[in-house]
Amino acid sequence: MNRYEKAAGAAVALMLIAGAAIFFYAPTDWLQGPVQRIFYLHVSSAIAAFGSFAVVLVGGVIYLRNASPVADRLARAGALVGVVFTTVTLVMGMLWAKKVWGAFWVWDARLTSTLVLWIIYAGYLLVRRLADPGRQAARFAAVVGIFGFIDVPVVYFSVSWWATQHPGPVIINDALPPQMLATFLFTMACTAVLAGVMIAIRYRIEALLDERERVFEPANVIVAREPQTAP
Amino acid sequence: MNPLRVALAVARKDLRSEWRTRELVPALAQFIILALLIGNFGFQIDSRNAASIAPGILWLALVFAGLVAFGRTFTAEREQASLEAMLMTPASPVAIFAGKAIAASALLVVCEAVMLPALSLFFGTPLSGGVAAAVLLATVGMASLGCLFAAIVARVRARELLLPLLTLPLWIPFIIAGGQAVQSAMGQGGNYGGAISLLIDFDILFVVLTSLAARFVLDE
Repeated sequence: MNRYEKAAGAAVALMLIAGAAIFFYAPTDWLQGPVQRIFYLHVSSAIAAFGSFAVVLVGGVIYLRNASPVADRLARAGALVGVVFTTVTLVMGMLWAKKVWGAFWVWDARLTSTLVLWIIYAGYLLVRRLADPGRQAARFAAVVGIFGFIDVPVVYFSVSWWATQHPGPVIINDALPPQMLATFLFTMACTAVLAGVMIAIRYRIEALLDERERVFEPANVIVAREPQTAP
Repeated sequence: MNPLRVALAVARKDLRSEWRTRELVPALAQFIILALLIGNFGFQIDSRNAASIAPGILWLALVFAGLVAFGRTFTAEREQASLEAMLMTPASPVAIFAGKAIAASALLVVCEAVMLPALSLFFGTPLSGGVAAAVLLATVGMASLGCLFAAIVARVRARELLLPLLTLPLWIPFIIAGGQAVQSAMGQGGNYGGAISLLIDFDILFVVLTSLAARFVLDE
Protein backbone atom coordinates (compact mmCIF):
# COMPACT_ATOMS: atom_id res chain seq x y z
CA MET A 1 0.00 0.00 0.00
CA ASN A 2 1.52 3.34 -0.95
CA ARG A 3 0.92 6.52 1.02
CA TYR A 4 -1.94 7.66 -1.24
CA GLU A 5 -3.83 4.44 -0.63
CA LYS A 6 -3.22 4.74 3.10
CA ALA A 7 -4.47 8.34 3.13
CA ALA A 8 -7.54 7.39 1.09
CA GLY A 9 -8.30 4.51 3.47
CA ALA A 10 -7.98 6.81 6.48
CA ALA A 11 -10.27 9.42 4.91
CA VAL A 12 -12.93 6.82 4.09
CA ALA A 13 -12.73 5.44 7.63
CA LEU A 14 -13.17 8.95 9.04
CA MET A 15 -16.22 9.54 6.85
CA LEU A 16 -17.74 6.24 8.07
CA ILE A 17 -17.23 7.35 11.69
CA ALA A 18 -18.83 10.71 10.79
CA GLY A 19 -21.76 8.80 9.29
CA ALA A 20 -22.14 6.83 12.50
CA ALA A 21 -22.08 10.07 14.51
CA ILE A 22 -24.73 11.61 12.24
CA PHE A 23 -27.10 8.66 12.55
CA PHE A 24 -26.49 7.41 16.11
CA TYR A 25 -25.05 10.30 18.15
CA ALA A 26 -26.81 13.41 16.83
CA PRO A 27 -30.37 13.87 18.15
CA THR A 28 -33.33 13.77 15.76
CA ASP A 29 -34.66 17.21 14.87
CA TRP A 30 -37.93 17.89 16.64
CA LEU A 31 -39.55 19.72 13.73
CA GLN A 32 -38.13 18.08 10.57
CA GLY A 33 -37.48 14.55 11.77
CA PRO A 34 -34.68 12.34 10.45
CA VAL A 35 -34.33 14.23 7.15
CA GLN A 36 -32.56 17.02 9.05
CA ARG A 37 -29.54 14.68 9.28
CA ILE A 38 -28.76 15.68 5.70
CA PHE A 39 -27.63 19.00 7.19
CA TYR A 40 -24.25 17.71 8.43
CA LEU A 41 -22.89 16.53 5.12
CA HIS A 42 -24.74 19.17 3.07
CA VAL A 43 -23.07 22.08 4.87
CA SER A 44 -19.72 20.29 5.28
CA SER A 45 -19.42 19.56 1.57
CA ALA A 46 -20.40 23.15 0.71
CA ILE A 47 -17.53 24.38 2.90
CA ALA A 48 -15.20 21.77 1.38
CA ALA A 49 -16.20 23.03 -2.07
CA PHE A 50 -15.44 26.65 -1.06
CA GLY A 51 -12.05 25.51 0.25
CA SER A 52 -11.28 23.64 -2.98
CA PHE A 53 -12.19 26.70 -5.05
CA ALA A 54 -9.94 28.79 -2.81
CA VAL A 55 -7.16 26.38 -3.83
CA VAL A 56 -8.03 27.12 -7.48
CA LEU A 57 -7.88 30.86 -6.77
CA VAL A 58 -4.56 30.74 -4.94
CA GLY A 59 -3.08 28.33 -7.49
CA GLY A 60 -4.20 30.62 -10.32
CA VAL A 61 -2.76 33.76 -8.74
CA ILE A 62 0.57 32.04 -8.04
CA TYR A 63 0.64 30.63 -11.56
CA LEU A 64 0.12 34.07 -13.10
CA ARG A 65 2.96 35.44 -10.96
CA ASN A 66 5.63 32.83 -11.56
CA ALA A 67 4.26 30.18 -14.00
CA SER A 68 4.83 27.41 -11.47
CA PRO A 69 3.52 24.04 -12.73
CA VAL A 70 2.93 23.02 -9.11
CA ALA A 71 0.44 25.86 -8.61
CA ASP A 72 -1.33 24.99 -11.86
CA ARG A 73 -1.69 21.31 -10.94
CA LEU A 74 -3.03 22.28 -7.53
CA ALA A 75 -5.60 24.53 -9.23
CA ARG A 76 -6.65 21.72 -11.57
CA ALA A 77 -7.00 19.29 -8.68
CA GLY A 78 -8.93 21.86 -6.60
CA ALA A 79 -11.38 22.58 -9.41
CA LEU A 80 -12.27 18.93 -9.93
CA VAL A 81 -12.67 18.20 -6.22
CA GLY A 82 -14.63 21.43 -5.76
CA VAL A 83 -17.07 20.47 -8.52
CA VAL A 84 -17.54 17.06 -6.88
CA PHE A 85 -18.35 18.62 -3.51
CA THR A 86 -20.63 21.24 -5.09
CA THR A 87 -22.51 18.39 -6.78
CA VAL A 88 -22.86 16.61 -3.44
CA THR A 89 -24.12 19.83 -1.84
CA LEU A 90 -26.67 20.44 -4.60
CA VAL A 91 -27.98 16.87 -4.71
CA MET A 92 -28.28 16.52 -0.93
CA GLY A 93 -29.90 19.95 -0.74
CA MET A 94 -32.43 18.99 -3.39
CA LEU A 95 -33.38 15.81 -1.53
CA TRP A 96 -33.79 17.77 1.69
CA ALA A 97 -35.77 20.51 -0.09
CA LYS A 98 -38.18 17.98 -1.60
CA LYS A 99 -38.98 16.75 1.90
CA VAL A 100 -39.28 20.06 3.77
CA TRP A 101 -40.22 22.57 1.03
CA GLY A 102 -42.17 20.19 -1.21
CA ALA A 103 -40.03 20.89 -4.31
CA PHE A 104 -36.57 19.85 -5.41
CA TRP A 105 -35.73 23.34 -6.56
CA VAL A 106 -36.75 26.92 -5.82
CA TRP A 107 -35.14 29.89 -7.56
CA ASP A 108 -33.83 31.67 -4.54
CA ALA A 109 -30.47 33.44 -4.45
CA ARG A 110 -28.59 30.75 -2.49
CA LEU A 111 -29.65 27.89 -4.77
CA THR A 112 -29.20 29.88 -7.96
CA SER A 113 -25.77 31.22 -7.06
CA THR A 114 -24.64 27.72 -6.05
CA LEU A 115 -25.82 26.36 -9.40
CA VAL A 116 -23.90 29.17 -11.13
CA LEU A 117 -20.83 28.20 -9.09
CA TRP A 118 -21.12 24.64 -10.34
CA ILE A 119 -21.45 25.84 -13.95
CA ILE A 120 -18.44 28.17 -13.65
CA TYR A 121 -16.09 25.47 -12.43
CA ALA A 122 -17.51 22.84 -14.77
CA GLY A 123 -16.61 25.41 -17.46
CA TYR A 124 -13.13 25.66 -15.95
CA LEU A 125 -12.71 21.91 -16.33
CA LEU A 126 -13.95 22.14 -19.94
CA VAL A 127 -11.38 24.84 -20.71
CA ARG A 128 -8.71 22.49 -19.43
CA ARG A 129 -10.03 19.71 -21.60
CA LEU A 130 -10.51 21.72 -24.80
CA ALA A 131 -7.38 23.89 -24.70
CA ASP A 132 -4.16 22.23 -25.75
CA PRO A 133 -2.41 21.39 -22.51
CA GLY A 134 0.51 23.64 -21.70
CA ARG A 135 1.38 27.09 -20.46
CA GLN A 136 -1.33 28.88 -22.43
CA ALA A 137 -4.12 26.65 -21.16
CA ALA A 138 -2.79 27.03 -17.63
CA ARG A 139 -2.76 30.80 -17.91
CA PHE A 140 -6.29 31.00 -19.37
CA ALA A 141 -7.62 28.60 -16.77
CA ALA A 142 -5.99 30.70 -14.03
CA VAL A 143 -7.95 33.74 -15.25
CA VAL A 144 -11.18 31.73 -15.36
CA GLY A 145 -10.53 30.37 -11.87
CA ILE A 146 -9.86 33.83 -10.43
CA PHE A 147 -13.03 35.31 -11.98
CA GLY A 148 -15.06 32.30 -10.96
CA PHE A 149 -14.14 32.76 -7.33
CA ILE A 150 -16.15 36.01 -7.28
CA ASP A 151 -19.22 33.80 -6.99
CA VAL A 152 -18.05 32.11 -3.78
CA PRO A 153 -18.67 35.12 -1.49
CA VAL A 154 -21.91 35.72 -3.41
CA VAL A 155 -23.06 32.20 -2.50
CA TYR A 156 -21.96 32.65 1.09
CA PHE A 157 -23.59 36.03 1.67
CA SER A 158 -26.64 35.40 -0.56
CA VAL A 159 -28.72 34.45 2.48
CA SER A 160 -27.96 37.79 4.11
CA TRP A 161 -28.15 39.98 0.99
CA TRP A 162 -31.45 38.69 -0.36
CA ALA A 163 -34.58 37.23 1.14
CA THR A 164 -34.06 33.53 0.51
CA GLN A 165 -36.05 30.44 1.26
CA HIS A 166 -32.77 28.76 2.13
CA PRO A 167 -32.06 29.28 5.85
CA GLY A 168 -29.28 31.59 6.95
CA PRO A 169 -26.11 30.55 8.75
CA VAL A 170 -26.84 28.45 11.84
CA ILE A 171 -23.29 27.71 12.95
CA ILE A 172 -21.98 31.24 13.47
CA ASN A 173 -25.35 32.30 14.90
CA ASP A 174 -25.00 29.66 17.60
CA ALA A 175 -28.41 28.17 16.76
CA LEU A 176 -27.49 24.50 17.24
CA PRO A 177 -27.77 22.40 20.40
CA PRO A 178 -24.33 21.17 21.59
CA GLN A 179 -24.70 17.56 20.37
CA MET A 180 -25.66 18.72 16.88
CA LEU A 181 -22.83 21.25 16.88
CA ALA A 182 -20.31 18.58 17.93
CA THR A 183 -21.55 16.22 15.20
CA PHE A 184 -21.36 18.99 12.65
CA LEU A 185 -17.84 20.08 13.60
CA PHE A 186 -16.65 16.45 13.50
CA THR A 187 -18.26 15.83 10.09
CA MET A 188 -16.79 19.12 8.86
CA ALA A 189 -13.29 18.06 9.94
CA CYS A 190 -13.64 14.62 8.33
CA THR A 191 -14.93 16.17 5.09
CA ALA A 192 -12.00 18.60 5.07
CA VAL A 193 -9.59 15.66 5.44
CA LEU A 194 -11.38 13.84 2.62
CA ALA A 195 -11.18 16.91 0.36
CA GLY A 196 -7.50 17.35 1.16
CA VAL A 197 -6.74 13.70 0.37
CA MET A 198 -8.75 13.90 -2.86
CA ILE A 199 -6.83 17.02 -3.94
CA ALA A 200 -3.52 15.32 -3.11
CA ILE A 201 -4.41 12.22 -5.14
CA ARG A 202 -5.65 14.30 -8.06
CA TYR A 203 -2.48 16.39 -7.86
CA ARG A 204 -0.45 13.20 -8.23
CA ILE A 205 -2.53 12.11 -11.25
CA GLU A 206 -2.10 15.53 -12.88
CA ALA A 207 1.65 15.44 -12.23
CA LEU A 208 1.93 12.01 -13.88
CA LEU A 209 -0.15 13.22 -16.86
CA ASP A 210 2.05 16.30 -17.23
CA GLU A 211 5.12 14.12 -17.14
CA ARG A 212 3.76 11.83 -19.81
CA GLU A 213 2.63 14.66 -22.08
CA ARG A 214 5.69 16.81 -21.26
CA VAL A 215 3.40 19.84 -21.26
CA PHE A 216 5.60 22.15 -19.24
CA GLU A 217 8.77 21.57 -21.19
CA PRO A 218 9.57 24.34 -23.68
CA ALA A 219 8.79 23.18 -27.20
CA ASN A 220 12.00 24.51 -28.67
CA VAL A 221 14.35 23.24 -26.02
CA ILE A 222 17.63 21.97 -27.39
CA VAL A 223 18.61 18.80 -25.65
CA ALA A 224 22.31 18.79 -24.91
CA ARG A 225 24.01 15.70 -26.28
CA GLU A 226 27.45 14.32 -25.81
CA PRO A 227 29.58 15.71 -28.62
CA GLN A 228 30.08 12.90 -31.07
CA THR A 229 33.65 12.24 -31.85
CA ALA A 230 34.44 11.66 -35.47
CA PRO A 231 35.49 8.09 -36.13
CA MET B 1 2.43 55.78 -25.92
CA ASN B 2 -0.71 57.19 -24.40
CA PRO B 3 -2.90 54.13 -23.59
CA LEU B 4 -6.10 56.09 -24.14
CA ARG B 5 -5.06 57.05 -27.65
CA VAL B 6 -4.03 53.47 -28.39
CA ALA B 7 -7.39 52.18 -27.19
CA LEU B 8 -9.28 54.70 -29.28
CA ALA B 9 -7.16 53.91 -32.32
CA VAL B 10 -7.84 50.17 -31.98
CA ALA B 11 -11.54 50.83 -31.48
CA ARG B 12 -11.60 53.12 -34.52
CA LYS B 13 -9.85 50.45 -36.60
CA ASP B 14 -12.40 47.79 -35.60
CA LEU B 15 -15.35 50.08 -36.21
CA ARG B 16 -13.98 51.15 -39.58
CA SER B 17 -13.54 47.55 -40.71
CA GLU B 18 -17.10 46.81 -39.59
CA TRP B 19 -18.31 49.91 -41.45
CA ARG B 20 -16.59 48.76 -44.63
CA THR B 21 -17.84 45.18 -44.56
CA ARG B 22 -21.17 45.81 -42.77
CA GLU B 23 -21.34 42.18 -41.73
CA LEU B 24 -22.00 41.98 -38.04
CA VAL B 25 -24.51 44.73 -37.24
CA PRO B 26 -27.13 43.85 -39.92
CA ALA B 27 -26.87 40.18 -38.96
CA LEU B 28 -27.26 40.96 -35.27
CA ALA B 29 -30.16 43.34 -35.85
CA GLN B 30 -31.94 40.64 -37.83
CA PHE B 31 -31.11 38.12 -35.11
CA ILE B 32 -32.70 40.39 -32.51
CA ILE B 33 -35.88 40.86 -34.53
CA LEU B 34 -36.08 37.07 -34.96
CA ALA B 35 -35.67 36.62 -31.22
CA LEU B 36 -38.60 38.98 -30.60
CA LEU B 37 -40.63 36.99 -33.12
CA ILE B 38 -39.82 33.71 -31.36
CA GLY B 39 -40.73 35.33 -28.04
CA ASN B 40 -44.09 36.27 -29.47
CA PHE B 41 -44.87 32.74 -30.65
CA GLY B 42 -43.41 31.10 -27.57
CA PHE B 43 -45.46 33.13 -25.12
CA GLN B 44 -48.81 34.03 -26.74
CA ILE B 45 -48.32 37.75 -26.07
CA ASP B 46 -51.32 40.01 -25.58
CA SER B 47 -51.74 43.50 -24.18
CA ARG B 48 -52.15 42.25 -20.59
CA ASN B 49 -49.03 40.11 -20.25
CA ALA B 50 -46.66 41.97 -22.60
CA ALA B 51 -45.15 44.13 -19.88
CA SER B 52 -44.28 41.15 -17.70
CA ILE B 53 -42.79 39.06 -20.52
CA ALA B 54 -40.96 41.77 -22.49
CA PRO B 55 -38.08 42.22 -19.99
CA GLY B 56 -37.27 38.52 -20.16
CA ILE B 57 -37.26 38.50 -23.96
CA LEU B 58 -35.12 41.65 -23.96
CA TRP B 59 -32.41 40.02 -21.85
CA LEU B 60 -32.49 36.72 -23.71
CA ALA B 61 -32.11 38.48 -27.07
CA LEU B 62 -29.42 40.82 -25.74
CA VAL B 63 -27.37 38.08 -24.11
CA PHE B 64 -27.30 35.87 -27.17
CA ALA B 65 -26.68 38.78 -29.54
CA GLY B 66 -23.82 39.78 -27.22
CA LEU B 67 -22.34 36.30 -27.37
CA VAL B 68 -22.32 36.45 -31.17
CA ALA B 69 -20.86 39.98 -31.18
CA PHE B 70 -18.06 39.26 -28.69
CA GLY B 71 -17.32 35.90 -30.26
CA ARG B 72 -16.41 37.77 -33.44
CA THR B 73 -14.13 40.39 -31.83
CA PHE B 74 -10.98 38.33 -32.20
CA THR B 75 -11.99 36.29 -35.27
CA ALA B 76 -10.53 38.64 -37.84
CA GLU B 77 -7.36 39.13 -35.79
CA ARG B 78 -6.92 35.39 -35.54
CA GLU B 79 -7.52 34.76 -39.24
CA GLN B 80 -5.02 37.43 -40.27
CA ALA B 81 -2.64 36.74 -37.35
CA SER B 82 -2.72 40.49 -36.79
CA LEU B 83 -3.06 40.34 -33.01
CA GLU B 84 0.55 39.20 -32.74
CA ALA B 85 1.59 42.15 -34.87
CA MET B 86 -0.31 44.57 -32.64
CA LEU B 87 1.22 43.04 -29.53
CA MET B 88 4.70 43.50 -30.95
CA THR B 89 4.20 47.27 -31.02
CA PRO B 90 5.08 49.24 -27.87
CA ALA B 91 1.34 49.68 -27.17
CA SER B 92 0.27 48.06 -23.91
CA PRO B 93 -1.87 44.90 -24.22
CA VAL B 94 -4.40 46.39 -21.82
CA ALA B 95 -4.92 49.38 -24.14
CA ILE B 96 -5.37 47.07 -27.13
CA PHE B 97 -7.84 44.98 -25.17
CA ALA B 98 -9.74 48.11 -24.07
CA GLY B 99 -9.94 49.27 -27.67
CA LYS B 100 -11.43 45.98 -28.80
CA ALA B 101 -13.90 46.02 -25.92
CA ILE B 102 -14.95 49.59 -26.75
CA ALA B 103 -15.53 48.67 -30.40
CA ALA B 104 -17.50 45.53 -29.54
CA SER B 105 -19.69 47.38 -27.07
CA ALA B 106 -20.30 50.15 -29.60
CA LEU B 107 -21.57 47.53 -32.05
CA LEU B 108 -23.79 46.05 -29.37
CA VAL B 109 -25.15 49.52 -28.55
CA VAL B 110 -26.12 49.90 -32.22
CA CYS B 111 -28.02 46.61 -31.95
CA GLU B 112 -29.71 47.84 -28.78
CA ALA B 113 -30.79 50.93 -30.69
CA VAL B 114 -32.67 48.52 -32.96
CA MET B 115 -33.91 46.25 -30.20
CA LEU B 116 -35.46 48.76 -27.78
CA PRO B 117 -37.70 50.51 -30.37
CA ALA B 118 -38.64 47.13 -31.86
CA LEU B 119 -39.54 45.81 -28.42
CA SER B 120 -41.66 48.87 -27.77
CA LEU B 121 -43.27 48.56 -31.20
CA PHE B 122 -44.12 44.85 -31.04
CA PHE B 123 -44.82 44.49 -27.32
CA GLY B 124 -46.25 47.91 -26.54
CA THR B 125 -43.89 48.49 -23.62
CA PRO B 126 -42.84 52.07 -22.83
CA LEU B 127 -39.60 53.15 -24.48
CA SER B 128 -38.13 55.06 -21.57
CA GLY B 129 -34.75 56.47 -20.65
CA GLY B 130 -34.82 54.20 -17.61
CA VAL B 131 -34.82 51.05 -19.75
CA ALA B 132 -32.11 52.42 -22.03
CA ALA B 133 -29.91 53.40 -19.06
CA ALA B 134 -30.15 49.93 -17.53
CA VAL B 135 -29.33 48.22 -20.83
CA LEU B 136 -26.39 50.56 -21.53
CA LEU B 137 -24.94 50.12 -18.03
CA ALA B 138 -25.18 46.34 -18.36
CA THR B 139 -23.48 46.54 -21.77
CA VAL B 140 -20.33 48.08 -20.23
CA GLY B 141 -19.66 45.20 -17.86
CA MET B 142 -20.88 42.52 -20.26
CA ALA B 143 -18.54 43.86 -22.95
CA SER B 144 -15.48 43.82 -20.69
CA LEU B 145 -16.14 40.22 -19.58
CA GLY B 146 -17.23 39.10 -23.04
CA CYS B 147 -14.09 40.44 -24.71
CA LEU B 148 -11.82 38.92 -22.06
CA PHE B 149 -13.27 35.46 -22.60
CA ALA B 150 -13.38 35.96 -26.37
CA ALA B 151 -9.64 36.60 -26.21
CA ILE B 152 -9.20 33.43 -24.18
CA VAL B 153 -11.23 31.15 -26.41
CA ALA B 154 -9.78 32.62 -29.62
CA ARG B 155 -6.78 30.34 -29.18
CA VAL B 156 -8.68 27.28 -27.98
CA ARG B 157 -10.32 24.52 -29.96
CA ALA B 158 -14.14 24.43 -29.89
CA ARG B 159 -14.29 28.17 -29.18
CA GLU B 160 -17.96 28.44 -30.20
CA LEU B 161 -18.76 25.90 -27.50
CA LEU B 162 -16.67 27.44 -24.79
CA LEU B 163 -17.50 31.13 -25.09
CA PRO B 164 -21.12 30.79 -23.87
CA LEU B 165 -20.10 28.34 -21.15
CA LEU B 166 -17.53 30.74 -19.70
CA THR B 167 -19.29 34.02 -20.31
CA LEU B 168 -22.92 33.38 -19.43
CA PRO B 169 -22.37 32.42 -15.76
CA LEU B 170 -20.33 35.58 -15.19
CA TRP B 171 -22.92 37.72 -16.96
CA ILE B 172 -25.58 36.58 -14.53
CA PRO B 173 -24.94 39.46 -12.07
CA PHE B 174 -25.70 41.91 -14.88
CA ILE B 175 -28.82 40.00 -15.86
CA ILE B 176 -30.03 39.95 -12.23
CA ALA B 177 -29.51 43.67 -11.66
CA GLY B 178 -30.40 44.72 -15.20
CA GLY B 179 -33.47 42.49 -15.14
CA GLN B 180 -34.70 44.15 -11.94
CA ALA B 181 -34.05 47.62 -13.36
CA VAL B 182 -35.86 46.95 -16.64
CA GLN B 183 -38.80 45.28 -14.90
CA SER B 184 -39.19 48.25 -12.62
CA ALA B 185 -38.78 50.74 -15.50
CA MET B 186 -41.54 48.88 -17.38
CA GLY B 187 -43.88 49.36 -14.47
CA GLN B 188 -43.55 45.99 -12.74
CA GLY B 189 -42.57 47.51 -9.41
CA GLY B 190 -39.27 47.05 -7.59
CA ASN B 191 -36.47 49.34 -6.62
CA TYR B 192 -35.12 50.98 -9.80
CA GLY B 193 -32.46 53.11 -8.11
CA GLY B 194 -31.09 50.17 -6.12
CA ALA B 195 -30.80 48.00 -9.22
CA ILE B 196 -29.06 50.77 -11.16
CA SER B 197 -26.51 51.39 -8.42
CA LEU B 198 -25.89 47.62 -8.24
CA LEU B 199 -25.27 47.67 -12.01
CA ILE B 200 -22.75 50.50 -11.57
CA ASP B 201 -20.99 48.55 -8.80
CA PHE B 202 -20.76 45.44 -11.00
CA ASP B 203 -19.47 47.59 -13.90
CA ILE B 204 -16.67 49.04 -11.79
CA LEU B 205 -15.75 45.65 -10.32
CA PHE B 206 -15.59 43.81 -13.63
CA VAL B 207 -13.95 46.60 -15.65
CA VAL B 208 -11.15 46.80 -13.05
CA LEU B 209 -10.78 43.00 -12.87
CA THR B 210 -10.79 42.48 -16.62
CA SER B 211 -8.20 45.20 -17.20
CA LEU B 212 -5.99 43.55 -14.58
CA ALA B 213 -6.47 40.15 -16.25
CA ALA B 214 -6.17 41.35 -19.87
CA ARG B 215 -2.38 41.48 -19.62
CA PHE B 216 -2.20 37.76 -18.84
CA VAL B 217 -4.59 36.80 -21.60
CA LEU B 218 -3.14 38.83 -24.47
CA ASP B 219 0.51 38.93 -23.47
CA GLU B 220 1.95 35.79 -25.05
